[in-house]
Amino acid sequence: MAPAATSQVLLSPAELSFLHSSLLLQPPVRPDGRAPNQFRPLVAETDILPGANGSARICFPDGTEAIVGIKAEVEKSQWRANLSEDGAHLGTGGGDVEMEEDGGKPQEEASSHGNGEMSWIELSIEIPGFRDDDPLPIFLAAMLSEGLLAGEELKDRLWINRRFHWKLYIDILLLSPPLSYPLPLLSLTTHLALLSSRIPKLKSEQDEDPLFDDDWEASLYLYPKLPTGKRIDRPPITLLVMAVGSNIIFDPSKEELAVAEAVLAVSVRESQRRENDTSGRRLNLLSIRSVDSPSRLTPSGVPNTMNTATGGSAPVSSQDAVAQRESIDQKGVWNPPRGGVKRALITRIIKLVLEPNGVAQEVMDGLNGVEV
Amino acid sequence: MPREAEPSLNEREFIHQALREQTRIDGRALDAFRELRLQFGDERGVVDVRLGKTRVIARISAEVVAPYPDRKFDGIFTITTEFSPMASPAFEVGRYTSDEIILSRILEKAIRRSSAIDTESLCIIAGLKCFFIRADVHIIDHDGGLVDASCIAVMTALQHFRRPDVSVEGENVTIYSLREREPVPLSMLHHPLCITFSYYDSGEIVLVDANRLEEQTREGEVIIAMNMHGEVCQISKFGGTPVDALVLLNCTNVALKKVQTITKFIQRQLEEDMRKRDVGGLMAELSAENER
Amino acid sequence: MPLDTSTYALSLLRLDGRRWNELRRIHAQISTQAAADGSAYLEMGNTKVICTVSGPSEGRRGQGQGGEGGKARIEVEVNLAGFAGVERKKRARGDRRIAELQHTLTQAYTSTLLTHLYPHSTILITLHILSLDGSLLAATLNAATLALIDAGIPMSNYLVACTAGSTSFEESDNADPLLDLNGQEEQELPFVTVGILGDGDKVSVLVMESRVQMSRLETMLVVAVDGCKRVREILDGVVREHGRNMVEGAVG
Repeated sequence: MAPAATSQVLLSPAELSFLHSSLLLQPPVRPDGRAPNQFRPLVAETDILPGANGSARICFPDGTEAIVGIKAEVEKSQWRANLSEDGAHLGTGGGDVEMEEDGGKPQEEASSHGNGEMSWIELSIEIPGFRDDDPLPIFLAAMLSEGLLAGEELKDRLWINRRFHWKLYIDILLLSPPLSYPLPLLSLTTHLALLSSRIPKLKSEQDEDPLFDDDWEASLYLYPKLPTGKRIDRPPITLLVMAVGSNIIFDPSKEELAVAEAVLAVSVRESQRRENDTSGRRLNLLSIRSVDSPSRLTPSGVPNTMNTATGGSAPVSSQDAVAQRESIDQKGVWNPPRGGVKRALITRIIKLVLEPNGVAQEVMDGLNGVEV
Repeated sequence: MPREAEPSLNEREFIHQALREQTRIDGRALDAFRELRLQFGDERGVVDVRLGKTRVIARISAEVVAPYPDRKFDGIFTITTEFSPMASPAFEVGRYTSDEIILSRILEKAIRRSSAIDTESLCIIAGLKCFFIRADVHIIDHDGGLVDASCIAVMTALQHFRRPDVSVEGENVTIYSLREREPVPLSMLHHPLCITFSYYDSGEIVLVDANRLEEQTREGEVIIAMNMHGEVCQISKFGGTPVDALVLLNCTNVALKKVQTITKFIQRQLEEDMRKRDVGGLMAELSAENER
Repeated sequence: MPLDTSTYALSLLRLDGRRWNELRRIHAQISTQAAADGSAYLEMGNTKVICTVSGPSEGRRGQGQGGEGGKARIEVEVNLAGFAGVERKKRARGDRRIAELQHTLTQAYTSTLLTHLYPHSTILITLHILSLDGSLLAATLNAATLALIDAGIPMSNYLVACTAGSTSFEESDNADPLLDLNGQEEQELPFVTVGILGDGDKVSVLVMESRVQMSRLETMLVVAVDGCKRVREILDGVVREHGRNMVEGAVG
């Protein structure tokens, strides 16, 4: 899945080759002078839209910018027969809840667990110049919602009672043309928007028609805050990682992507912890996907041996050209990368992402600073 | 995609020059409509409108459907427009030009949103059954003034149309066929019509009912929908060269006069058609409608 | 009419506490997007719009290169975000209302910009509506004007827009005009959107979608034109402020 827009980096084979070899150095030299695991500085703000339950805006220095707005609406749940063990006898009508009034409280606590449904979260991505059904937005939306739906917690928090639930609409808007692969930008913005999302406090009890507290001050965070100001858990983030040779580079810019040998999208999440748990945070890997790198579509350079102007002999046929290229491994001549990634490399990437005080942790901590 | 031929510079200059001398290329006065002809079909609710060379056919149909869940007490009324390649080589099937969007939006605003039809009267049983009135507008020949002609066509067709009579007893609905009971006219709240003004020289020269050539050479247009009681239902001036606010206000006065004449003309034609249909004067006896 | 607008007659204060001739807060910024050739962010009350302009540039392939007759072609894309309204609503592409809005903006700027300076090129105006509370057309026009100024595309004058309404549909004597309607008022009352070019009385855009007595129109127009002049002053202030900052930034 080559995102069409990112493959339009207009670099000559010589430039690509230069980029590639400087990224191969130990340590790699990146065009903008960053360390391999350093992210680009970004501007972020949350709660920018008064009309949404949660919203965030992130702006990268290259001008790509995204806004995410989250809206929650109360929706009637589809009646399900196997709602819970005791759901069957009062499933016929929601009105007769009174009969289990005394035992109600603890049950309510328990019943929100595991009742969340995938369809309660809807995610859509708008990218200028793309239609809704173009592969890029659909692919990105799939990757982002995959991470969100992986855990039970978020879905379960949308449960109101047996008859109603919140439907969460996550609308992601890319304001600029997709200059670099927009996945990390969109993921970070969604992360922030979810953190800032609040839903009104429920006033009604049990299976009544839900009634909410008008006071927005009393509303609850979708990702609850502990009294200490820390969160019990946080939404997942998806990072873009690329590899050149044995070098692993985080948050690649579009020029770097043009020479990537492998590009991976890694989703991680902080595991849920108890209130009194003081041990360090643990990160879980949610998903890992390989992204087809745009470097495969770049034009290859012509080595001197194949160039008649420099005394070489031009290949007779295209097969001949491929065969000749295969045998040359000349430095300074750009050859688009082929083949896959070594398993050991993927292991190293995962390790780098997940290790304590690793990259993902650093990003999460960085986003913590933006918080409301 | 086929493109319409653009008038040449000479043609443009000629038209402008003539207009500055208060002359239109077809010899009309600046505020004169082309000849309007209405022809009714055998069926009720079919009208063929000719405005000069422009020709538009409107057809109204009704069926019984369930109303929208959020509008339980209202019937449904829609207007669809169709540009066929027959009208002009520039029209293509399946491709939406801005002309088409504008036409459908203006008709929507002028007729539907101004509630020319009393949609509540189309409701049979609240939330369960209602009439779905559909107006189909077909552009047969395009020589300018599409909005005006289409609006006349839809409004005339709506007044010409008769829907089947119904009776409700509890939950039972009986829809009477044409033989059983005389069908009833739609209940109309007012009769809006659209008048398009084309202007030249930043509003110095204002024309009514421009033909295609004049449309292509104009600087801008203002479409005003009004009814004969002087209520403005919609004004659209989508950009174009700016004109003085006074000119626009003046347009509404002219539009009122035009709307009044055209409404009267439509009324006369409808009455004439009624007389033709009412062979032997049986209509009054067969009618199930009560005098109010 | 479900909304109770009748209290106006007693207090002469509108639902949001304004008097009849008060504009909502207008806040505007220029050059908000680094990636675009020109950009602007505009708030009119709770209506929030981001506009980016790219071009003049070579047109997108397959759509014919640029405009006809040696003029630049103007394309407008309006995107109404799903979270913009009170209820979350996803609009299908090809929504007629949005299409009409795009058409209006295209037409308005085709006659305002000096398009003959950029033959065979395309100017793309993209508008994102983040929050919607009335005056949609007016806000998009104002935002696009600022973004086009930021992009440095020559235009004959500021094209600014504003809405005005009337407290009554009928021809009664005690109806008052209202300036700059919010979303609730727009649903209940007749209103016009007027776009003015420059500081005269030259009306470039005039759109009215509600049914109203002819005699009401004149007062509504006058109030809207007056509102446009005030909007123009505010926008002009924003542009000058931005220019000053740029000059100072370049010197210091």
